[in-house]
Amino acid sequence: MISIKNVSKTYHNGTHALYDINLEIQDSEFVYIVGPTGSGKSTLIKLLDGEEIPSKGEVIVQGIDVGKLKHSKVPLYRRNIGVVFQDYRLLPRKTAFENVAYALEVVDAPKDELRKRVREVLKLVDISDKSNAFPSELSGGQQQRVAIARAIANRPKILIADEPTGNLDPKKSDEIIRLLEKINREEKTTILIVTHDIEIVRHHPKRMIAIDNGHVVADLAEGGN
Amino acid sequence: MFHRFFRHIKEGFIGVGRHFGMAISSASAVMITLVLIAVFVILTWNIQTVTSTIESSISIVASIDYEAESESSRSNIETAIKAIPGIDTVEFRDKDEEFTYYAEMQGEEERDFYEQYRSSNPFHDVFLVSVEDGLDIQEITSQIATINGVYGVYDGGTNTYTLVSLFANIRIFGGALVIALCLLATYLVYNTIKITIASRKDEIWIMRNVGAKNGYIRAPFLVEGVIIGGLGSLIPIILTIVLYYLMYDNLGGSLFGAFTLVEPFPFILYVALGLFVTGIGVGFIGSYISVCKYLRLRR
Ligand SMILES: Nc1ncnc2c1ncn2[C@@H]1O[C@H](COP(=O)(O)OP(=O)(O)OP(=O)(O)O)[C@@H](O)[C@H]1O
Ligand SMILES: [Mg+2]
Repeated sequence: MISIKNVSKTYHNGTHALYDINLEIQDSEFVYIVGPTGSGKSTLIKLLDGEEIPSKGEVIVQGIDVGKLKHSKVPLYRRNIGVVFQDYRLLPRKTAFENVAYALEVVDAPKDELRKRVREVLKLVDISDKSNAFPSELSGGQQQRVAIARAIANRPKILIADEPTGNLDPKKSDEIIRLLEKINREEKTTILIVTHDIEIVRHHPKRMIAIDNGHVVADLAEGGN
Repeated sequence: MFHRFFRHIKEGFIGVGRHFGMAISSASAVMITLVLIAVFVILTWNIQTVTSTIESSISIVASIDYEAESESSRSNIETAIKAIPGIDTVEFRDKDEEFTYYAEMQGEEERDFYEQYRSSNPFHDVFLVSVEDGLDIQEITSQIATINGVYGVYDGGTNTYTLVSLFANIRIFGGALVIALCLLATYLVYNTIKITIASRKDEIWIMRNVGAKNGYIRAPFLVEGVIIGGLGSLIPIILTIVLYYLMYDNLGGSLFGAFTLVEPFPFILYVALGLFVTGIGVGFIGSYISVCKYLRLRR
């Protein structure tokens, strides 16, 4: 469970990004976070994965007070969370398979189990046939699938995607959201999607948290009430 | 575990290869540093041996007043001398022994000439005082002179002071130079690793993102730093060993025929080991600071 209590965030340069946020997200939930540019959505994600520390209040994820984590404990905590970005961030000199395997290697997964798991997630994101392709040989949608595969390889409890469809056409965007729904169903992963794309929210209705100017302005359960 | 260990080693070598020019230039900096360290260590070590020979031969001679020759005042003086800080040993020699000592320093004929004066012995009872540090000798001499019952004090005089403090200055100056050079070499390794880190920023970002521990991220860069340091120590080690042996053989083991040189074995192997450890240490510390600084900025 994610529990955000009275959280405010002011950056070092004095920018107020979030004001007194209160949110609870249950395990296996599927949630959209929407809001205009500069409203504080990415900041909220950075507080969740431990990149930033709240200026006030506390962020509790799976019982861990994320803001109070010591620098050296952040990596272990972060294995609970997979993050996917708009720009994929794959290693250009590694194949799709190697990119996913990399995420498992750096956390010291045993080698035989590693190969099995890589094949499994590549299959889950439906890109098995491109295992040996380099990122430059893949389309945007395919690269995003590899990025998602990498993010879930470690079986994180929570998958966060910051604008995962930002660079994709509507059809490809739709496929990615359907993939995330499948991961939510099959791996019981909590999914948080930051998006500008209201079409997506309309076609795949879920709980939607709207942020504006650092405030939560709406928190609508699936179906819109 | 082993698999992981070798991966770090491999990544380290790849890192050196990727920025070969940088690696070579900072390895050269390490090399120059180590050559200078070697020269300095060999020089001071040899001087040190000479200095300790001089220092151990320096003693202060404090002669006792004729009026203070009684058992009790003698022991008072001895206590007073021993109370001065920096005193190593105090040895008593009565005037008879002093007479014999000086008589024996003369040739056969003069000795007989001296012997006739033994009954009216003009010498004083003396304390022979040795000090712990040659640099204190002047200070201690003047302190002994103020003790009641001390007739006169003699040490080697200005020449000894100058020699001892010259050697001490060489040591201090050389030591400071070595430390400064080590810092410079560390800084160059630090910069090289900073550039390698910059070129692998994306990879580090991903590693952090999927939860790689700091130690895991650090490892290949530390290996890289150690490789640079190790490379830099290779040539100085060979140079030191070969040149010292050559010098020792050609000079016949002594300098100006006056100072004996330290025997090459095992001395030069210790120096070589020291160079190796310093090279690797400089590489390790330089890269360690570099990665830690980078990692600390990000959570
Ligand atoms: N590292 C930072 N240092 C200082 N200010 C920052 C930093 N990151 C973000 N901000 C500021 O905080 C505010 C919220 O930024 P944030 O990135 O959370 O917005 P966002 O909702 O993700 O916007 P977008 O939709 O454009 O990605 C903005 O005013 C931004 O300029
Ligand atoms: Mg953003």
